Amino acid sequence: MLKKALIERIINEALESTADFAEVFVESTLQYALSMQDSAIQSAKTKELKGVGIRIAQGYKSVYGHTNKTDEKSLVSLTQDLKTAFSGERTREVIKLSKVQSQNNHSIKTLPNEVDVSQKVSLLKRADKSARLYSKDIKQVNVSYMDTVQNVTIASSEGVYVKDTRVRTRLGINSVASNENDMQQGFNGPGGSYGFEFYDQIDLEEEAREASRIAVAMLYADECPSKTMPVVVDNGFGGVIFHEACGHSLEATSVAKNASVFSGKKGGKIGSDLVTAVDDGTIPNAWGSANYDDEGLPQKRRVLIDKGVLTSYMVDQLNGKRMNEAPTHSSRRQSYRFAPTSRMSNTYIDNGESTFDEIIENTEYGLYARKMGGGSVNPSTGDFNFSVMEGYMIRNGKIAEPVKGATLVGTGKDALKKIDMVGNNLLRAQGMCGSVSGAITTDVGQPTIRISSITVGGRKEDAS
Amino acid sequence: MNFKPLFEKAEAIGFEAIQIKYSESKSINLEVFKGDLDKHEISDSKALVLEGIYKGKMGKLNTENIDESKFDYWIDSLKASAEAVESEDPVVIYEGDEAYQEVEGVYSEALETLSVEAKKKMVFELEERVRNADQRIDISEAFYSESSGYELLENSKGLRLEKRINHAVLGAHVVAKSVDDSRSAFDYIQSNQPQDFDTDELVKNVVNRGISMLGAQAIESGKYDVIIENRASANLLGAFLSMFKAENVQKGLSKLNGKLNESIADSSVSLVEDPFMEKSPKSTGFDGEGVATHSKNIIDNGTLKTYLHNLKTAKKENVESTGNGFNGGIAPTNLFIKPGNNTLEFMLKDMDQGLFITSLQGLHSGTSAISGDFSLQASGYVVKDGKLDKPVSLITLSSNYLELLNFVDTIGSDLKFTFSYLGSPSISFNAISVSGK
Repeated sequence: MLKKALIERIINEALESTADFAEVFVESTLQYALSMQDSAIQSAKTKELKGVGIRIAQGYKSVYGHTNKTDEKSLVSLTQDLKTAFSGERTREVIKLSKVQSQNNHSIKTLPNEVDVSQKVSLLKRADKSARLYSKDIKQVNVSYMDTVQNVTIASSEGVYVKDTRVRTRLGINSVASNENDMQQGFNGPGGSYGFEFYDQIDLEEEAREASRIAVAMLYADECPSKTMPVVVDNGFGGVIFHEACGHSLEATSVAKNASVFSGKKGGKIGSDLVTAVDDGTIPNAWGSANYDDEGLPQKRRVLIDKGVLTSYMVDQLNGKRMNEAPTHSSRRQSYRFAPTSRMSNTYIDNGESTFDEIIENTEYGLYARKMGGGSVNPSTGDFNFSVMEGYMIRNGKIAEPVKGATLVGTGKDALKKIDMVGNNLLRAQGMCGSVSGAITTDVGQPTIRISSITVGGRKEDAS
Repeated sequence: MNFKPLFEKAEAIGFEAIQIKYSESKSINLEVFKGDLDKHEISDSKALVLEGIYKGKMGKLNTENIDESKFDYWIDSLKASAEAVESEDPVVIYEGDEAYQEVEGVYSEALETLSVEAKKKMVFELEERVRNADQRIDISEAFYSESSGYELLENSKGLRLEKRINHAVLGAHVVAKSVDDSRSAFDYIQSNQPQDFDTDELVKNVVNRGISMLGAQAIESGKYDVIIENRASANLLGAFLSMFKAENVQKGLSKLNGKLNESIADSSVSLVEDPFMEKSPKSTGFDGEGVATHSKNIIDNGTLKTYLHNLKTAKKENVESTGNGFNGGIAPTNLFIKPGNNTLEFMLKDMDQGLFITSLQGLHSGTSAISGDFSLQASGYVVKDGKLDKPVSLITLSSNYLELLNFVDTIGSDLKFTFSYLGSPSISFNAISVSGK
């Protein structure tokens, strides 16, 4: 880790220019990953990241440099290279950093790097065994385990000087079911901002069976019909619909440049009355939580949409200047190798009043998307797509036969307005989100919701 | 850094062999947004990947904390990693091949010495040309991304190989706007020769794409003849690449298992891997395990000729590695569907009625690399009387990749590569299932 005096020197060197903002991000990260296939550990890998990112800006124009040559000479030289973008008279006074802040709201009991490898291995074995026992159709199981301890120091010309430790762990189970006709997969991947104690809190065997359950259900599924129809999206990972369809378009990354369908819509009605959506980076020990964002500002809870009305974007400092808005402490990055920008943390649609049964009973015909796969969106058009990992037809208000291969496509604007039932069973699930500042941990979430009409793509033409 | 003492220390405590991959890389990323330099990033980094065989198992460590004082810690860490492994799969650290092909044209002094100012100028000019091309261009961005790297592969069996590459991408992204619609488009040029960054075609293409897509709507669901444009087809190939990797075949995770020397595609289809292509950062005379690379047809006129192997998968089947061992797994260098002789104009005429798909979205989620099934968000144009007609969006294209390869009608001549150097020409297919209105 860099000494305070060196960080101050870099910031002040950077401000020896027309720049009005300088920031230093120091990272030291230790990751450990295990993978199992054929019921045997295939690899055990340690990864160490160590480096520094330096950002200098004037207004919202910025330059960013990163290096893992962390000696004083290299860092000062990088700073001098960067500040040539803003050559001219100094505009800011000399900065002195205050006392370092390191508030911790996410208590960790057992640091993963203090746990013996054999204990981690036994988790994978238990998951593998449970996933295989689920059905004789399960022919292959891949289990992956990861833990990471990221230590960061963030300091800036705006008085920020914080240290934070982000501890995260996740177990991923991928079950493959096959018979002579077909091969299908199911995935489940619980995780959180926890140490090794996380695995005492979950029912690991049940989490593994869940992956197998999906794979087997889809092995006996028919192709999904291609048609526009009502879709009931279940709680938990179903929240990926909001994440993709709306969340990305509410990030200042696209809003500030007027490149989002929701630019200029703050205060306006963008969804049905039933929709309240929140991005909350403070949920204790959640996968997408942290004490501070990656600009060193305390993480926050943000109500993005309140009963259909757009109330807040997710804003980082520089885009905030472009938008003339205060930052919402939403800045995140994968590592020192990425300049930070506004990103989601734990994003979910809040509870409504319907029960799950009411939603199904009130749907004459449609698709029940029990488990969602991933998806993507083009923020400038709002066009989104996502895959349904586990789907069923709904007929006469009842869940009917399983269907595979369904993809939902639509636009965020439309989908938000077409949400016509919202359940009361909010659940969050873990995902990785990739965007300009790298791959970051995010929770998605929602109760069961119904979208009154959406294009479903499948391989069966018959639409009855 | 001299790694010999590290090798000696490791062997002294019982490692059979140890190997390092040391890399240094520098990068520049520039982005101009509506006339302003919006992003200017530079980086200078180094990384070390260590692998060592201890009691028949492979230990692994990646680190950026590179210092001779760490030798003992690295060896301990490698040993612990090896001890955790249970798989009985063969492990190999390679002594090297007799000869390696010298790869030309992958490092360019001209690119290295071109000033940052000149590179900035290219981006500013491109953005300005795109912005001023049409008043419906609402958002215009241009970018330049350059990387330059050195890599050393060295092991205790006497292998020592080095390479140096550099590469750049210049591209533009636009959003075209009408009263009630906005559409984005994107295109790029990649090379390591500054003179290749001639942007006339790029500007025309990206601007036309954005504007002509305005007002795009879904079409009726049904079966359509479809031309998938070069870049979209290359992206689609990428989503199913894992089928060709021997590790997946051996683990029962590929439908190509048992299909060697059988026909798996229309006889017009050849899938080529060429590790010696000029100006590609993927080109190399040796793979990540030190095996000499060679050119090959993976699919030759419809017949599956080989899987992609690394040393481990090759040893399991008693065949030679195909020189595709990279980053601990298997990957191709430059891989592409061999272009045919047909111009796009001919293909459109030949098809007469159907769809021309320019973009497929959701490739990381709407595809199953095991079954080959896909259901993807698509956009493009209706083809009417052999010509591009109305723009189309928010439809899904659903099929199975292996079935699709058998429905190939004609193959175009317009080979294009993605950023990861997967390539394809535009290809027309018969009767693909489309979901729309």
